[in-house]
Amino acid sequence: MTRAEAFSEREVAMCTVARMVEGGKTYWAAGGGTPLYSVLLGQKLYAHDAQYVTEDGVIAPMPLLPFEPMLVMVASRAIHGALSWGNMNTAGYYAQLGYMDYGVLNTLQVDKHGNINSTFLGEYPDGGRRMHGPGGADTIAACCWRTILITDQEKRKFVEKVDFISSPGYLDGSEGARERAGLPRGTGPWRVVTPWAMYDYENRRLRLMARVPWVTVDEILAECDYKPLVAPEVQVLEPPTEEELNLLRTELDVRGQTTDAAGGWIIWDGEKYVRGTA
Amino acid sequence: MTATALEPIELLAEGKAKYHPVDPDGFREWVREHKTRAMVSKLMTEKEAVAKFVSDGDYLTYECNYISRGPNSVLNEIIRQRKKNLWLAGKFTYVDVGLLVGAGCASKVDTGFFLCTPGVKKAIADGQLEAFEYSNVIMSMRLEAGAQGIPFIPVRSFGGTDGFDYSGAKLIRDPYTGQPTVIIPALNPDVAIIHVQQADKFGNARVFGTGISDVPAALASRKVIISAEEIIDTEVIRSNPGLTKIPYWCVDAVIDAPFGGYPGTVPGYYSSDVPGIMECMGAVMRGDIGAYLEKWIYGFSSHNEMLEKNVGLTRLLDMQKREVIKEGFRG
Repeated sequence: MTRAEAFSEREVAMCTVARMVEGGKTYWAAGGGTPLYSVLLGQKLYAHDAQYVTEDGVIAPMPLLPFEPMLVMVASRAIHGALSWGNMNTAGYYAQLGYMDYGVLNTLQVDKHGNINSTFLGEYPDGGRRMHGPGGADTIAACCWRTILITDQEKRKFVEKVDFISSPGYLDGSEGARERAGLPRGTGPWRVVTPWAMYDYENRRLRLMARVPWVTVDEILAECDYKPLVAPEVQVLEPPTEEELNLLRTELDVRGQTTDAAGGWIIWDGEKYVRGTA
Repeated sequence: MTATALEPIELLAEGKAKYHPVDPDGFREWVREHKTRAMVSKLMTEKEAVAKFVSDGDYLTYECNYISRGPNSVLNEIIRQRKKNLWLAGKFTYVDVGLLVGAGCASKVDTGFFLCTPGVKKAIADGQLEAFEYSNVIMSMRLEAGAQGIPFIPVRSFGGTDGFDYSGAKLIRDPYTGQPTVIIPALNPDVAIIHVQQADKFGNARVFGTGISDVPAALASRKVIISAEEIIDTEVIRSNPGLTKIPYWCVDAVIDAPFGGYPGTVPGYYSSDVPGIMECMGAVMRGDIGAYLEKWIYGFSSHNEMLEKNVGLTRLLDMQKREVIKEGFRG
């Protein structure tokens, strides 16, 4: 493990999720971008027998990297070396049957009960801005045993109540709300990861559980419109290592489309990591 | 014997959006009347197929999308023939909805995932496009129910979302488990357009690699247009029937369409034309797609003419060359 000199905020989130990947478990990675790269990074470095599916029903591919631009599903390099080629319904069946241990997805807005909005900002249907829709995230959030959500640490992304529930968290937060809505029991949001922090849930309410060394709890809370619960002891996350970053940059996101410096760079100043202005 | 009153199935909640009408018996009658069981050649051009099988007001599903194994030559022909008031299955898609809406072809869309472009937003704001909320898997499960000839299908997702309220879904107390269970209406589109690697002239089709809902869409739709990279002999089909994904009797038109997926990839045949994709994305994301449509669609009488004059052999060969993985994508 080599200390990294500099990295971007998005790289931090992906490396954090990569370390959560467990051997012998299955992951449904949403779309492209951060979820898929995080799972691949974890699989390559820490958990070789972790397996993943994507929305097109591929099982456990060994993708020929790097992907062609935007071609992360229904493309020969992405589905290369798989155990099975399926379709969107087979992916849905695996999740409905309970074969998917973890779902990994990203979102634009999350609320205190882990509900996810990717449909509409503002007052549906006329008073705001329409977005791209849930895609496969609705099924991932409904049916995988545990859901890991990746998002940026921005005030507007952490809200009391999302404007539109595209994909379900703990809904109104009451016990059994998911089951009453027809969702499989024992499922739900598990972690939220941002470039600054990791959250879990206490009694189905979002709770700050860990932070990166270069930001304080107060700085994180200042970037939450809804103030989450705070764990009695907030752990400190390990920064990305050079090995993780090298793999991410040279094999996975070689074009920097996902790992660009959105949110800025973090730099080692000789004693500690500081937020850079580059 | 005493008659006991049966409990009605309890309806717990329901979405309030309109949905494409559910009519399994009507679909069966359509099949009896219109789907020939005779082995007759259905080869025709994309122009003939769209003129004959796509009508204004039809519910349209297309498989995959403009970037990956999309039926792009047929989709572009729909735009070229200026079809109107289509209802789109907008699942697993980037630019397709933006193109069809921008070209004035669509008036309704069932949402799964699509690039919500300025043109789409404006069409909704102006009341020219109605949007109904689903998700990708919910849409492909609706097609699955349509493909089984049943009126609805229970699913374990979608409950509790706000999309549910703006869809055709219902929440019932399942009479077998007693649990609240979401049911969604079967989808039997008027027309499906599907691009495949190989098909014979009757419509027996092979699809290699992953997909979204090729087979359910073919089975569930009243009119099915297949475009294929290669037209192969039926003897080849018969030599390995395990590879046949779509049987001939659901297919109404077969189009010989090499590079029919341009500018997207067709796995095993060619990679995508990245500048071509980006030009399209740029156009729909800017919201002024008139010039794009003129340059790539209206200005030509066919996809082949466009490929010849706009793209050229060098670029097409480069797409083939960059598709390094061929194994597993042919019979």
